[in-house]
Amino acid sequence: MENTNNLKKLDKKTLTNSFHRWFWGALTCFSQEHMQTFGYMASMLPILRKLYPEHKDQVKAIKAYTAFFNTNPMLGSVIVGITASMEQARANGKEIDGETINDMRAGLMGPIAGIGDSLIDGTLIPILLGISLGMSTGGSPLGAIFYIVAWILIAYFGQRFLYFRGYKFGDQAVSFLVGKQGAAVRRAISIVGSMVVGGVLASWVNVTTSLKLYGSNGKVFLNLQDKLNSIFPGLLTVVVTLFCWWLMTKRHVSAIWTMLILVVISFIGVLVGFFNPGLSY
Amino acid sequence: MTISWIQAAILGLFACLCSNSCMAGQAVGNYTIGRPLVGGLVCGIVLGNLKLGIACGVAMQLVYIALVTPGGTVSADVRAISYIGIPLAMVAITSQGLNPLAGSAANLAKSIGTLVGTVGTVLYYAVATMNLVWQSFGWKDVHKGKLDKLTAVNFGWPWISHAIFSFLPTMILTYYGATAVTALRNALPMDGIAMKTLFTVGGMLPCVGIAILLRQIVNHAADFIPFFVGFTLAASLHLNLVSVTVVSLLFAVIMYEVEMSKGSQGPQGPQGKSGPVPEAAGTDSEEEDI
Repeated sequence: MENTNNLKKLDKKTLTNSFHRWFWGALTCFSQEHMQTFGYMASMLPILRKLYPEHKDQVKAIKAYTAFFNTNPMLGSVIVGITASMEQARANGKEIDGETINDMRAGLMGPIAGIGDSLIDGTLIPILLGISLGMSTGGSPLGAIFYIVAWILIAYFGQRFLYFRGYKFGDQAVSFLVGKQGAAVRRAISIVGSMVVGGVLASWVNVTTSLKLYGSNGKVFLNLQDKLNSIFPGLLTVVVTLFCWWLMTKRHVSAIWTMLILVVISFIGVLVGFFNPGLSY
Repeated sequence: MTISWIQAAILGLFACLCSNSCMAGQAVGNYTIGRPLVGGLVCGIVLGNLKLGIACGVAMQLVYIALVTPGGTVSADVRAISYIGIPLAMVAITSQGLNPLAGSAANLAKSIGTLVGTVGTVLYYAVATMNLVWQSFGWKDVHKGKLDKLTAVNFGWPWISHAIFSFLPTMILTYYGATAVTALRNALPMDGIAMKTLFTVGGMLPCVGIAILLRQIVNHAADFIPFFVGFTLAASLHLNLVSVTVVSLLFAVIMYEVEMSKGSQGPQGPQGKSGPVPEAAGTDSEEEDI
């Protein structure tokens, strides 16, 4: 490959094109076997075309990206950015081969998937949704619109930032995600996430009992729900949630089985008069 | 309320855009159009009852607030929840004559939506399996050096998978499902055990969604505390969610400072609690999630 006098540099247009292909296409051609591999190849195409004018070099270079790839697509854009910079270095004759690039990708996709799933799917989106749900009372579309605007802005510019950060700093770019400061930020955000989720549960979910015990004179002498409310409002809701958590975390019951167990509990509860949704036409 | 073929077709198109392997991209497709809250908005507009749509969307969103798909495993399908489940729930609520904003309407929506969403997982795997065909085209193109065709493999051919496994099922199920759901009204009386159970389960289903989130967040017993504080702020002090978020920011800032000063005093932090902080993210996330 020609590498002597003029060093190749990717221009912003090519990088943006590559980023857009990742943003729109990371998971369009998804299969359980190759997952995001094709999305990755599609987003590397503009980069390879730019760096290698010779078709045979392009074909050779893309071989590195045929390896299996799957990560959190949001944070994963940083990895695509990093490979763009590595590919540029390779085209300029640095001692980087496909294997180096693949080792980097394989090494990062696991941690980035773990961090991304808990940070984006497990924390950021629930926070946004929690706030949006609060705006949706009375059937107002405001919450949904807020979510659409806020999330798309965060997702687009966040991913774009990560992509270009990856390109600029190479594999140094992820240190702020996996390093000490990144860990502290994640821990801090998880506090916000936990509290908002607690708030969502209290605001929107209300498991109540209809159990009332009547004395011989026909008067109610025990209204269980009132008693529970005087101890801790929403106690039953918390109990059911913790029960589900316990089933899934400690007993390793799947989500679907947990739901079926709730069906059984509800059925028995309705039979014995513990639950009564108070339906009428 | 009935669903016409045109309305069913529009819902089918949205289903193509939003599934987990979605034609509108992850951020816009899966994470925006696919969220039940947004699905409720879309279904409300398409079916001409915005309030009811949003109410169903809110109800379903609570169940699926923690829609994490680690390693590409899903146990619920967003296209089925948002564009089959919500429309059918809307029809059911209307035909039962429930007040769209009442809790019982929401509980009915949750039961129907969750059932459809769980069964709909089959659509997710069907699309992913059919994409293997396009990928096999892609491998041939790569070996032959026809790189230009990769774009079509990634962005074009998968539309066929979605036409067969997103568009058609959504269109047919919403069109014919609406009739079936309306017939349910006569089959299952509201004061019967079956309906009572259905509504009671609907009220509890969000607990599963929240519990899945907790599984992500909670690594030590102490991690429950911010969750309980948030719950108490809303349940006992009746703060709304924006206010809860603002209060939580204070604790987040404190936690950040604590974590940052931890390292300078060695691995054992000031609290003497040696949480595996850098690994805290998603230790459990390899499992199947909702």
